[in-house]
Amino acid sequence: MTAEAELRNSTQPKPGFAERFDDWLNPIVVKELRQAVQSRFVITALLVLLAIQIIAVAIYLMTTADISFSYDAGRTVFMILFGIMLAVSMLFVPLYSGVRLAAERSETNLDLLFITTIKPRSIIFGKMLAAVVLTVMIFSACLPFLTFTYFLRGIDLPSMAVVLAIGFVSVTLSAQAMIFLACLPVGRAFKFMLGVFGFILMVIGYVSTMATAGGMLWEGVGSRIAGMDFWQWVGIIAMNYGFQIGLLLALSIALIKPVSANRALPVRLYLTAIWVIGGIAALSGSWVEATHDPMIYWQASFNIVFAVSIFTAVSERDWPGASVLRALPESFGKRLLRFFFTSGSANALAWTVVMMVATYGVCWIWWRLFPNISSLGELVGSTRWLTVMNLYLFCYALTAAFLRRHVLKQIITKWTWVIGLMLVAIGSIVPFLIGLLVYMNDSDWWQEDFGVWLVGSPFVWNVVAHRNLYLIVGSFWAVLAIAFNLQWFIERAKGFAPIENAVEQMSQDHE
Amino acid sequence: MRVEVSNLKKYFGSTRAVDDVSFSFASGQVVGFVGPNGAGKTTTMRILATLDEPTAGQAFIDGVSVVEEPELARNLIGYVPDSLPTHRDISVHEYLDFFARAYGLKGAKRTQTVDSIEEFTNLSGIRDKMLVALSKGMKQRVTLARALLHDPPVLIMDEPAAGLDPRARIELRELLRALSGQGKAILISSHILTELAEICHGAVIIEHGKILMAGGIADLLSDSVPRRTVLIRVLGRQEELHRDLSQMPNIEAARFNGEEIAAEVSGTDDACAELLAALVARGYRVVEFKQQRANLEEIFMNITKGVVQ
Repeated sequence: MTAEAELRNSTQPKPGFAERFDDWLNPIVVKELRQAVQSRFVITALLVLLAIQIIAVAIYLMTTADISFSYDAGRTVFMILFGIMLAVSMLFVPLYSGVRLAAERSETNLDLLFITTIKPRSIIFGKMLAAVVLTVMIFSACLPFLTFTYFLRGIDLPSMAVVLAIGFVSVTLSAQAMIFLACLPVGRAFKFMLGVFGFILMVIGYVSTMATAGGMLWEGVGSRIAGMDFWQWVGIIAMNYGFQIGLLLALSIALIKPVSANRALPVRLYLTAIWVIGGIAALSGSWVEATHDPMIYWQASFNIVFAVSIFTAVSERDWPGASVLRALPESFGKRLLRFFFTSGSANALAWTVVMMVATYGVCWIWWRLFPNISSLGELVGSTRWLTVMNLYLFCYALTAAFLRRHVLKQIITKWTWVIGLMLVAIGSIVPFLIGLLVYMNDSDWWQEDFGVWLVGSPFVWNVVAHRNLYLIVGSFWAVLAIAFNLQWFIERAKGFAPIENAVEQMSQDHE
Repeated sequence: MRVEVSNLKKYFGSTRAVDDVSFSFASGQVVGFVGPNGAGKTTTMRILATLDEPTAGQAFIDGVSVVEEPELARNLIGYVPDSLPTHRDISVHEYLDFFARAYGLKGAKRTQTVDSIEEFTNLSGIRDKMLVALSKGMKQRVTLARALLHDPPVLIMDEPAAGLDPRARIELRELLRALSGQGKAILISSHILTELAEICHGAVIIEHGKILMAGGIADLLSDSVPRRTVLIRVLGRQEELHRDLSQMPNIEAARFNGEEIAAEVSGTDDACAELLAALVARGYRVVEFKQQRANLEEIFMNITKGVVQ
């Protein structure tokens, strides 16, 4: 630093706490909250909410005879007020966050943010944080009314706190779900359909939250708070909430990242981390409780995630972007690890297959190590069922990718999953229909042989009589699908190298 | 500081939006990016602004590749898109403050930067107005102010004058002149070619994803129009001159409209100078000898075919 610069720095006043705090704040949060407090929509929604609550309390108090002897008046009024607050919050906060982001995404506003130094994760975290602050604002505005119910009797403070926490979790989860839907790069018609789908999800969320909250209030939390069961329940809810919020955040970040960036990194990193943490928790739970049930939930959840991942994998971009390749390490070991966490169809397939095999491997070792604890049959059955399902889906996805590259060339890569799903539908239905037409009048066919004609369906493992056939067909098909895609995969693996080699490989491809 | 675009290609399926485009320009230069709708201007500009990835080719800003090092390149670029800001419930100052925060400006530096940019773009008087309540011209100024917040050496402006009234266009032109004077390299696309010609040092003409012509405005004018039109008025002897001209070397045609003669001269400025000398030598009393310059619009119409992809 030059003497002049040092002198200038020494003469400038040091920033105070408020200034430093202001600098530290996420710019998106600052902008969103500035917009919210100046928005007529927000102010009107808050005023309407408060007005409805006052009217609801007044109507209840006036219409309920002999209120002084009603020992559950507080609980009933709290439920009414909570229901109103939750309905407004679950409708307003997700819509406000989601619609605003969807509008910004459809114009160039997000583009303008991408060329600043702000990171996509800051954009999504900022949106989420702003939604959380809005929720806190609404809850705070309603708190005086809710506290008032305590004096009407029939409700304890822990119950109120727990129910409010459940409501808060539901609202923030809905807001994050809407932010995720708003991030999807789809046209207006599809966005509208997604909005309707999101609304249905919110209604389901509202009903289940109200049911849970009602249950908690009527049973009372105060008496259960000292028990282990209650905290186990809280732990499971918190883990589920954390997992879902985390997944939605990772997916949203990946969706708004520029196309040139490594979009897959946050999602695959998150899923791998959760796979490890969830696996350790399931193994520990299984060992402590002497049951395979936690392992069944763990493998089933992740096998479903991998089933989706197979189809997204074949729809990913063919090559990682030049800026991603440029950042690749020279070391082969580090590059190999990076291969699994980089955008690209081949990379995604490799990650999915490794994770699927690892999931089966962990379950297999576990049931071999502890054959005498309960639910062994369920663990073995469900793991095999879902693994065979994923083997079939893998075959369908690879076949779709091969067809798209060599036959359906006019279809762009990102729609490969549609071809894959169409193949699943054809493979599941057509052989069965042929069998049905041929053997329609043969009663033995329905008793014994119809399962053979379901050989194309990925969901057929529960037809026990023909499991060997399904396994042979699935394995043989997988070998064929891998063989047909092997050259393509090897080219991508070789091209996953520092920029010069990769660019050469990519330009040959484009020619 | 130099911006270099080299063999840039961008394909959308079988459509070649940008097909082997190469050009370059330097600090202090304003370059017009001209072409019909769908020619590939916006795609090229978005690639330069690091918002899109090229299928092949490279673009460098001061030696930094926008393809391989987009994060680094973003510090060097100010991008003005072809749309205006639509944020609701936010004032001009809050909007600029938000982007200043997004560019990582902190504390007093942020306040000073936003204030000085508001002053430069003449927004100080309306800084507390809501963004949605502004006119198009004002919004365009806000967009330009936003692009200047991190003091980028390169400005990429996509149709900044579209939809502006004459006053707003003149104000924008003055701002661009000032920015060029500050040493910024500016790439600007516009359909208002007459205005572009007034502020641009060079132009790149693109159609169907391919560059048709690129270079300095003067070079483009001479290269694209091989002959010049000279308007001549002499005292008396107009009809005699009309007849004489058809016998003179380098004169391709001459038209007399009753007041002045328009002569088509083939060749360069030398041919025009020789013509004037010959007229004086033959005793014509020349009161007006004016070379009618071709403009950017004429060049554009001459070399483009209006093909849209």
